Amino acid sequence: MSVPNDDNPSSHAQLSANVFSDLLDSIIVDVASECHRIARLGLDRNLEEEEEELRLSAQARARVADPSNSAETNSKYVVDIFGQTHPSVANEVFDCMNCGRSVVAGRFAPHLEKCMGKGRKARLKTTRSSTAAQNRYSRGSPGSTYSPYSTSTSMNRLSNGTPGVSGEEYSNGTLEES
Amino acid sequence: MDQHSNHHQRRNGTVSVPEPCPHLSDFRSLHGGAKPFRALQDCLRVRPPGRAAIRRDPNEVPRCASCGLSSPASRLYACVSCAAVSCLAHAPSHAAVGGGGGHEIAVDVDRAELFCCMCEDQVYDRDFDAAVVLAQTAASTLGGGGGSAHPPLPPPPENLRKRRRVDYRPWTPDPRERALVVSNSSPLNGKATSSGLPWGLRGLNNLGNTCFMNSVLQALLHTPPLRNYFLSDRHNRYFCQQQQQKNNNNSVRKNDNKNWRLCLACDMDAIFSAAFSGDRTTYSPAKFLYSWWQHAANLASYEQQDAHEFFISMLDGIHEKVEKDKRKPQSQGKGDCCIAHRVFCGILRSDVMCTACGFTSATYEPCVDISLDLEPNQVASTKKPSTKSLHSCSGEADSKCSSQTCGISTLMGCLDRFTRPERLGSEIFCQRCQVKQESLKQMSIRKLPLVSCFHIKRFEHSSKQKMSRKVDRYLQFPFSLDMAPYLSSSILRGRFGNRIFSFDGEEPDGSSELSSEFELFAVITHSGKLEAGHYVTYLRLSNQWYKCDDAWISQVNEDIVRAAQGYMMFYVQKMLYYKASEKPGAS
Repeated sequence: MSVPNDDNPSSHAQLSANVFSDLLDSIIVDVASECHRIARLGLDRNLEEEEEELRLSAQARARVADPSNSAETNSKYVVDIFGQTHPSVANEVFDCMNCGRSVVAGRFAPHLEKCMGKGRKARLKTTRSSTAAQNRYSRGSPGSTYSPYSTSTSMNRLSNGTPGVSGEEYSNGTLEES
Repeated sequence: MDQHSNHHQRRNGTVSVPEPCPHLSDFRSLHGGAKPFRALQDCLRVRPPGRAAIRRDPNEVPRCASCGLSSPASRLYACVSCAAVSCLAHAPSHAAVGGGGGHEIAVDVDRAELFCCMCEDQVYDRDFDAAVVLAQTAASTLGGGGGSAHPPLPPPPENLRKRRRVDYRPWTPDPRERALVVSNSSPLNGKATSSGLPWGLRGLNNLGNTCFMNSVLQALLHTPPLRNYFLSDRHNRYFCQQQQQKNNNNSVRKNDNKNWRLCLACDMDAIFSAAFSGDRTTYSPAKFLYSWWQHAANLASYEQQDAHEFFISMLDGIHEKVEKDKRKPQSQGKGDCCIAHRVFCGILRSDVMCTACGFTSATYEPCVDISLDLEPNQVASTKKPSTKSLHSCSGEADSKCSSQTCGISTLMGCLDRFTRPERLGSEIFCQRCQVKQESLKQMSIRKLPLVSCFHIKRFEHSSKQKMSRKVDRYLQFPFSLDMAPYLSSSILRGRFGNRIFSFDGEEPDGSSELSSEFELFAVITHSGKLEAGHYVTYLRLSNQWYKCDDAWISQVNEDIVRAAQGYMMFYVQKMLYYKASEKPGAS
């Protein structure tokens, strides 16, 4: 332990250095004592499994990023696992259960919206607010409780959108503006 | 002690009490077992946030009897036999003085830890720990520094006790049952599975911006308890509709003439039937969309939706219907009100502790999933210790490649943060202080659901720039996940100094009926931007991964899944997973 070089009352400086050193030792013993207990009682987390998962994950990312590997995620689909092929807009035809008309599957949602009279108008209704305990203390909501709708605000939303794979030209029609 | 083999034998999170050293056992037999430790009870002083110390009277400043040193100049040990206080240097001579008189065991006055002066090591005793925990509990409840024997924690939700683990027994129909099955059903088309591809795999048509729905449906179709429920005909849609017509003779619904009553569970049943029929052509979940839009009127629009919001809304729809049927409100906490809650509902515990006096209040609430914040941007080499308990360390050993040193966000890191104590400003009224005080709030999981769904908040909102954006940062998630560190019992134990004691719902002998080990079986990923993106689901069936991209089902390597940008991850309790996947031919 080095004694600070101080012309001022060096005994003060030394005393405070001693006190600091004692406090530091005390804190170190706190940690050592707690870790000793955790280890001796077998409460330490099984880090081997966790590290293995991290390793596998890093390995996977490296392999996927390697361009020499067959890029699966972004490749265009030719046939699926059953040997089938599918058009960009689903072409199954069925009857709308609301109005009875024949609709093409890929355009069912826009049809249904008009048919049911839903859409932008309905969106103006407010969501039922939740009474989640997490929000009781006006902090971020760490969990979604059972409540009519999610506790997360509408700002936490990720929208889906066009079907198909990136790079593909799947079109789902234009968004209805109402 | 062989630490390594211990890992595999014991369950993560449970205490294994070490054998006492000979001096400790001698001490106990000499002094009548637990008596000397219980006698210490009066000397245990607890200060917020829960640290226990040994003081004969509250204002005592202990000093070494030989040299007068006090804390923190040296740690001080009080002999459990005669209460003589010694510093570390003088402790051995006091122990020797006894000459077999039982002065070998001392207690660290500032940490309430037993010390064997002969072994020169910290030792552990169940009865001593129990005394400490009782003192700590009394300090954190309205009883004050009392001698109440039983910690008056809030009563645990009842159903935790009722669920007993039943051993798996393979079932085959007896002759009567076989006859019943044959006469009331027809065999499925076996051709479709001759390739050995799993049952239930079937593409879903995108009906116009509905990949948010398809992705969730695919995950649910292969959620083991949910799949089992519907495939064992537990919600028969024909029967249910029939019942509804009988019950509601005057209906105000618009579609009276179609003789159909809104029931999302019926529509789920239809989807399960379709997916597991063996027919591999793509299926259009149109009826389901129609039903869901009737239930969630405010979300009914042909525009981009959020998969998680749909998931919550859907579960709510299944629950609400059950409530209407039973004509009485179902207690949410019980979780056995409907299949949606039986599968997904867990219970969270929220503890709020006053930093001034230590008074802690706990509340329970049900939850069907856990939404986690992605950690803010981490500097690669920052080593941030994660303090799990309110005052003691987490016990994470240094590792070469911990997530913190590598700078990657991980699911477990998010869960660590979720269960970390957080400071609340002076906004909580303390029942004991009778004023508003600064508090600490800590979340933990009281009861794990059968299926855990984790939702990652990949959203960032900047109020300054008045914009929202999606966070694409990679999040590592394990294929096998042990939730033990996040259970209330573990969190509480950590807060009370990791004492040997059964906390919050644990069995006294440490064994628990419920496992905390989970296996990943579905991942929903989102690619693209906030306003225009695409959802895809990865499914794990018989340890093989499949990608479900609306109508397109393909087989993928597990690397693709590990490297994917997870948005919702579905884990099922391992004992269920193993039972399902070990059966030949079943997924």
